[in-house]
Amino acid sequence: MSPGRTTAIANRIIQQMLRDRRSLALILVAPIVVMALVGFTFTDQREVLDRVAPALLAVFALFFTFILTGVSFLRERAQGTLERLMTTPVGRWDILLGYLLGFLLFATIQTVVVLMFTVIALQINYQGDLWQIFVLLSMLTVVSVSLGVFVSTFASNEFQVVQFIPMVFVPQIFLSGIFLPIEDMPRYLEIIARLLPLTYAVEALQDIMLRGQSLADVATDLGVLAGFAAVLLTLAAVTVRRP
Amino acid sequence: MALPSVDRDKENVAASFVVDATDVVFSYGQRQVLNGVSMHIPKGEIYGILGANGAGKTTLIRLMAGLLKTDGGQLTVFGEKPSSRTARNIGYMPQLNALYLELSAEQNVDFFARMFGLSNAKERREAEEAVLDLVGLWERRKDAVLSLSGGMRQRVSLAIAMVHQPLLLILDEPTVGLDPELRASFWDHFRSLAASGVTLVLSSHTMDDAAHCHRLAFLQEGRVIAEGSPSELSSAAGIAGASLEDAFLHFVRLGQ
Repeated sequence: MSPGRTTAIANRIIQQMLRDRRSLALILVAPIVVMALVGFTFTDQREVLDRVAPALLAVFALFFTFILTGVSFLRERAQGTLERLMTTPVGRWDILLGYLLGFLLFATIQTVVVLMFTVIALQINYQGDLWQIFVLLSMLTVVSVSLGVFVSTFASNEFQVVQFIPMVFVPQIFLSGIFLPIEDMPRYLEIIARLLPLTYAVEALQDIMLRGQSLADVATDLGVLAGFAAVLLTLAAVTVRRP
Repeated sequence: MALPSVDRDKENVAASFVVDATDVVFSYGQRQVLNGVSMHIPKGEIYGILGANGAGKTTLIRLMAGLLKTDGGQLTVFGEKPSSRTARNIGYMPQLNALYLELSAEQNVDFFARMFGLSNAKERREAEEAVLDLVGLWERRKDAVLSLSGGMRQRVSLAIAMVHQPLLLILDEPTVGLDPELRASFWDHFRSLAASGVTLVLSSHTMDDAAHCHRLAFLQEGRVIAEGSPSELSSAAGIAGASLEDAFLHFVRLGQ
């Protein structure tokens, strides 16, 4: 692995995103629109809003980073730039870490913007430390980037990446405790929910943001997320290997 | 502007042949693409691989660049199997331009220069300036690749292949889309690179390019059907006053 190459890849991702104003607007404006809709819908039900808002932060981090990584990596494959990269001395981990760092920046900016909107405009009952939220969302971003790289292997165009959304995200959104606490779900759904990374991110974020718990208190959730990240990173690394 | 010179003596290229292929076999699934290809390319040679579409030129080039692995036979580059180690000394220009369209020509070249390990900013800047100037894009370096013509994109791609001053340049159809003037200047540069010890392997299906090569291999259905210098191949065809094209067609018909 080479820090120089990793940072060059991260820098390139950032430059590409900065030139792609629409995608930039999408990752910042779309979450605020959704969050505003949720906020206005549950104005009179603070308890629901308090539970849903932190969960949505996790959903946005997972969803947008997945879409951006999936499409970017697909383009790398389709345009031949990944193949060209493979003719250089770059390692697969340089590529993966470069992608992680690049998209982590945008995921962090998104988190700050959405969090500020949630706290200031929607006046969510927010208690946790900001840095702890970032640590948790960073772990989720690792999951998301790895998932995006891995899934892009099975897609041959952008449309096919989008087709993974109902498979990868819809079950997670319904089962992660956003709409209904996991404990209140039928036993078999609870088991499925426990196999999905978003469940742990939502649980931990709710604990930190609503109950003022620390990262140490949510260490189990964080550990499980790290496990998901490790497995998915390995799968992603296998798919970008040199032939 | 000339490319910065490289002290070639520092490079330890001990192999007698820069590219050494013996009975190379390769298949995509059930379809055999290369069927016992042999070629031995010494340092400083411009070696052309000619053949019709589907003859196996690009596959052979991708094997040399380390993008594919042989199914049989032996292929070495600088005396060893193509790997990330050999990659440091190889410049590869794919048939597909393989560029980041949103980025400028300069950003593309800079990115790949970093991938090749050019970490010193001043040296990298000089190398980038030299190659962009060479391909005639210094004035347009800030333009996004998306806004450049097909020929210009081809030139950015070539600049990327040369920015780290490789000892072996592998070029897949490098002059497609270039105007005659630029094509001539490219060939001037290729010749001066070869004279300085750089080895060039290029694929083409145009006889224009073929005539510039030191040696050629005619490839047909994954086999080398003839090999030699352009004049040797023209003579070997046994047709009075035969052009390279006549020779190529002659050997293709013989091979069928």
